[in-house]
Amino acid sequence: MKENVISATVFTLLLFLNTCLLNGQLPPGKPEIFKCRSPNKETFTCWWRPGTDGGLPTNYSLTYHREGETLMHECPDYITGGPNSCHFGKQYTSMWRTYVMMVNATNQMGSSFSDELYVDVTYIVQPDPPLELTVEVKQPEDRKPYLWMKWSPPTLIDLKTGWFTLLYEIRLKPEKAAEWETHFAGQQTEFKILSLHPGQKYLVQVRCKPDHGYWSAWSPATFIQIPSDFIMNDTTVWISVAVLSAVICLIIVWAVALKGYSMVTCIFPPVPGPKIKGFDAHLLEKGKSEELLSALGCQDFPPTSDYEDLLVEYLEVDDSEDQHLMSVHSKEHPSQGMKPTYLDPDTDSGRGSCDSPSLLSEKCEEPQANPSTFYDPEVIEKPENPETTHTWDPQCISMEGKIPYFHAGGSKCSTWPLIQHNPRSSYHNITDVCELAVGPADAPATLLDEAGKDALKSSQTIKSREEGKAAQQREVDSFHSKTDQDTPWLLPQEKTPFGSAKPLDYVEIHKVNKDGALSLLPKQRENSGQPEKPRAPENSKEYAKVSGVMDNNILVLVPDPHAKNVACFEESAKEAPPSLEQNQAEKDLANCTATPSKCRIQLGGLDYLDPACFTHSFH
Amino acid sequence: MNIKGSPWKGSLLLLLVSNLLLCQNVAPLPICPGGAARCQVTLRDLFDRAVVLSHYIHNLSSEMFSEFDKRYTHGRGFITRAINSCHTSSLPTPEDKEQAQQINQKDFLSLIVSILRSWNEPLYHLVTEVRGMEEAPEAILSKAVEIEEQTKRLLEGMELIVSQVHPETKENEIYPVWTGLPSLQMADEESRLSAYYNLLHCLRRDSHKIDNYLKLLKCRIIHNNNC
Repeated sequence: MKENVISATVFTLLLFLNTCLLNGQLPPGKPEIFKCRSPNKETFTCWWRPGTDGGLPTNYSLTYHREGETLMHECPDYITGGPNSCHFGKQYTSMWRTYVMMVNATNQMGSSFSDELYVDVTYIVQPDPPLELTVEVKQPEDRKPYLWMKWSPPTLIDLKTGWFTLLYEIRLKPEKAAEWETHFAGQQTEFKILSLHPGQKYLVQVRCKPDHGYWSAWSPATFIQIPSDFIMNDTTVWISVAVLSAVICLIIVWAVALKGYSMVTCIFPPVPGPKIKGFDAHLLEKGKSEELLSALGCQDFPPTSDYEDLLVEYLEVDDSEDQHLMSVHSKEHPSQGMKPTYLDPDTDSGRGSCDSPSLLSEKCEEPQANPSTFYDPEVIEKPENPETTHTWDPQCISMEGKIPYFHAGGSKCSTWPLIQHNPRSSYHNITDVCELAVGPADAPATLLDEAGKDALKSSQTIKSREEGKAAQQREVDSFHSKTDQDTPWLLPQEKTPFGSAKPLDYVEIHKVNKDGALSLLPKQRENSGQPEKPRAPENSKEYAKVSGVMDNNILVLVPDPHAKNVACFEESAKEAPPSLEQNQAEKDLANCTATPSKCRIQLGGLDYLDPACFTHSFH
Repeated sequence: MNIKGSPWKGSLLLLLVSNLLLCQNVAPLPICPGGAARCQVTLRDLFDRAVVLSHYIHNLSSEMFSEFDKRYTHGRGFITRAINSCHTSSLPTPEDKEQAQQINQKDFLSLIVSILRSWNEPLYHLVTEVRGMEEAPEAILSKAVEIEEQTKRLLEGMELIVSQVHPETKENEIYPVWTGLPSLQMADEESRLSAYYNLLHCLRRDSHKIDNYLKLLKCRIIHNNNC
């Protein structure tokens, strides 16, 4: 029973609903206010969207109240804004006040209300587009052509009192282009466009916006045809600029080419090289000893009168090698004092060539336990000359390990096996000598330089002659000793005392053998502080024979019949040679000084050491 | 005493130099009693400057409000509680063009100055409170700081304009007082957010008012209603 009632009720309701739906009559749907706008801050309009109709005529009403008021008002104007709109006139519009409005839809079936909308006119301002946009091409005679556009603000906007402020924006594009070229125009109502493509048709539009609000819609497009003769005058300027810059570049290149070097040196001044007083590196490179020495201040490289004192007056050849050897040693010891220390086999301070096997004397090594590398093989290879050998041996010993401490560029130590043994005065060549001279650069150094150089040269010349080696060595040693004594300066290194203050020892030729070898005897001068003085030979000594006299007091010595050499001696006019054979050689040797041109080194037989002569021989 | 004296001397020197530098920025405005043409030019510059400032301040306020609403209160109906929440509503400010044109120049200027003065304190507290937030929104804070700074400058400019246009005006220090500080510090987040919303809402509105008023006055005084 009850179930029948219920089902009947449901059936009836559904029937009623169907009837209603078939009729289409429903209460209206909920409307919605979707937009409110004010074009001039003096009026505003709101539009709503109605809901479903419900099939019946529906009335809409908009009601509102304002901030600070409680009274409800209805929309004053439903028409001006179009359908479903509400327009608020000037008297109904207030700035800076919130409006609360609502739309009510009513039909026979019922009514519905929209949501409340809070509206402040301040923030819904959107003007109409500008009006009367005019565009034209202007081509003044003396100026570049441009596109000139002009417009006017939309109506109903009060700009004069400042109540409303408008800002504009224009855009343009060629007809076929895809993108617009937009320009902000500010508050002005005209605009100039300069860069245009000639012969094209352009579209121009403009829009505006309040100082605080929404942009208006774009105005309708205005078309403008750009004439084909729309000249762009920029190219002329660019051509002139390019020509001017080219001219300037050419001038600069020309100036640089002419004065390039001086400019470069002005900008980058050459780095000054080290300057050694009195020393010229260029001369050193060229290897011209004379110039070099002259630059160093080695005046009068052929020793002058100063040097004369250093010369050995005479040579005594002594048969007893041991004796003179011992004396040599003794001489060396007191003079050097440090000799034992220098005997160390420190043979590697740059003596490259000195270590060459050609220089090494096997014979010297054999008898000696010490590996001496300075021996002259020629000298030692004279087994038939025991004297020489003996002579050499101790010298080898003494010489051993005496490394020349200056080898700068000098591989000429080969010529100085003897000299090298003198630890004090070890120098290889002129270069070394001059280098030594460079250090202190004192006058005595110069003096010693000359002595050393002469010794060097003499040694070089005698190199081929083993017989003269001893004598040479003697003299060299004497020179060395003398230089050692005289000049404490020399190199800053203590090891290379170019000249220790030791006076030169004179050598006496003790004896001349059959083969022409000289055995030398150091001159006995314990008390001699003046080594420069030549002394007359006291004992009968053997000298080289004078074969003849040449032009101007030039003695020609003949040591060997098979070897004819010319030894040049200059005779000093002052002294009368008592014995031509005996004293002449000595004195001439002593006095043979500053006239170098006639001196020549005698090769073979007796070798006569005359530094002055030797220097000339080297020329 | 020398040891202590040297830092003092340095600071004094620094102060002196900074004062000299700052003094250069203050343009001495000539007072024109007679309203000559020369005076008008200076007034024009003052008004141009004032309009620029007011325009800038409103832009900042609008952005600040938008950011705050978007981040914290959007769609939550805070606007309903913002009705009648501004402390400057007691001032007789014109609400449309006709009313604005009816008000006289002097009162108009005084009104503007009153609004500006009334916002000194709220802006100060706004900056302080936002800075003290746990997660201080940097964008909002920076704008608040800038608005406070520029408002002070605008007030100074307005006072200069007043002194030029109406030198006889007595200094009227009456302005509406803001009392919303306790609301900003409420524990309830909803209430606190509502307080901030109202404050920013009122700031946006009043800055627009000032901007509009100044543009009106500029056209009226400088251009003689012929902008």
